[in-house]
Amino acid sequence: MDYRRDIPLAITFLVGVIAVMDYYTTLKSVTDTFTVIKNWGVVLYAFALGIGAVNLFRVHGRRISERRRADWPFSAWLLLMIVMFVVVGLGTGQFETSSQYEWIYNAIYLPIDSTMYASLCFYMSYGAYKILRARNFDAFLLFITAIFVILGNTPLFPATFPVFFHIREWIFGPIVGGAYRGIRIGIGIGAVVLGIRTLVGLETGYLGRR
Amino acid sequence: MSVFTEERLVPLVAFVLAWLATYLAIQLGKQGKIRIRRIPGLDAIEEAVGRAVEMGRPVFEIVGMGSFTDIYATQTVAGLSILSYVATLSARLGAKMYAPQADVGVMPVAIELVRTAYTTEGKIEELDIDEQLPYLSGEQFAWAGGIIAMAARMKPAANIMVGPFWAESMLFAESFDRAGAMQVGGTARMYQLPFFAAVCDYTLLGEEVFAAGAYVSGDPMQVGTIGAQDWYKIVGFILAIIGALLATAGVPVIGDLLSL
Repeated sequence: MDYRRDIPLAITFLVGVIAVMDYYTTLKSVTDTFTVIKNWGVVLYAFALGIGAVNLFRVHGRRISERRRADWPFSAWLLLMIVMFVVVGLGTGQFETSSQYEWIYNAIYLPIDSTMYASLCFYMSYGAYKILRARNFDAFLLFITAIFVILGNTPLFPATFPVFFHIREWIFGPIVGGAYRGIRIGIGIGAVVLGIRTLVGLETGYLGRR
Repeated sequence: MSVFTEERLVPLVAFVLAWLATYLAIQLGKQGKIRIRRIPGLDAIEEAVGRAVEMGRPVFEIVGMGSFTDIYATQTVAGLSILSYVATLSARLGAKMYAPQADVGVMPVAIELVRTAYTTEGKIEELDIDEQLPYLSGEQFAWAGGIIAMAARMKPAANIMVGPFWAESMLFAESFDRAGAMQVGGTARMYQLPFFAAVCDYTLLGEEVFAAGAYVSGDPMQVGTIGAQDWYKIVGFILAIIGALLATAGVPVIGDLLSL
């Protein structure tokens, strides 16, 4: 018997069966047990946060001490920011609701986050350019469809030529909707089978292939 | 008061039938009676790792930023199965694999299975957990920015992304494409699938993500369960056709039955 493999599999089966029973039955004992399990999960995740922090300090602490890479000052900046956020959060005693914490979050983190998100439009435009080049008949059909969808989404064209709006609606309805539902059904079935495979201990990829 | 939750009776019956069908499929799989089609995206992973070895450049394996406690947990589990597979191939063939992490709950599992893969291949001394599986951030664009920077610096030869992805999917796909990486992308998140299909060399569509772990294992019992997936789809297809015809005729009996 391989305890490192069998004990996790037994725990997975037990917790999985309780989760399934919680969904399908009204038994109070099952609901209470599953609530306790979910609370354990929250506690375990809180501990795992520490692992992430330790990893960051180990990786970037090593880079700062070695100074072999040209980007080591960024490592120092990262650790400084982590310490600063923690100190401000804990120091005020109000954590993320304190005005000081909100200020550094809004002044430092949010602009960078928004910039990253905004850059997505350039990546999408470049991706669209690559895929919409009419290299063959299939790509040509995709290109024509995209033209109707893009123009149908603008305010000007559907107002001037209502046909653009109707074609766009037709593409999104029967064509995209049908394909979308087909893939959704496949995803649902695939998730159920993966769940069953995990519960019965056949899917062991998440344990490593022992 | 009923023991069973109201309005979930039909799903419960469907779930029990799914168990029975999966059991039957496992038995048939054991006897080698179930054959499944090839999935090019999964077959290409070995080629991608081999390419990285030949070019002397690293392999990236990204499982997304899902966790074990959200509704995308099944995709995360599927992604971890592929991570285990890629780690085994990388250790065996001698490629340097990087798997940046975003979720602190998934990270210890990822570390454990990569360590197991390297140990099994007798290459544990070649593994540097801190460098190869760094925790970047739990914030979406901080994590994305970190990976984009790694891709730009390291110029990986291969990038395998299987798991739940959000807006960062396009950032990754384009950044690795520019770095010259061969890419295999797979997710069951519908809105991100077109991005992977547009940019990646191979794409795992929806259900193929869930079949990935069983497929790469080569275990006949697991492969059998993929066969069961096809049975359910046939049943779903037949129900949809009959339901549509009956509903058109003014008899919505299938719809009423499924909503019980």
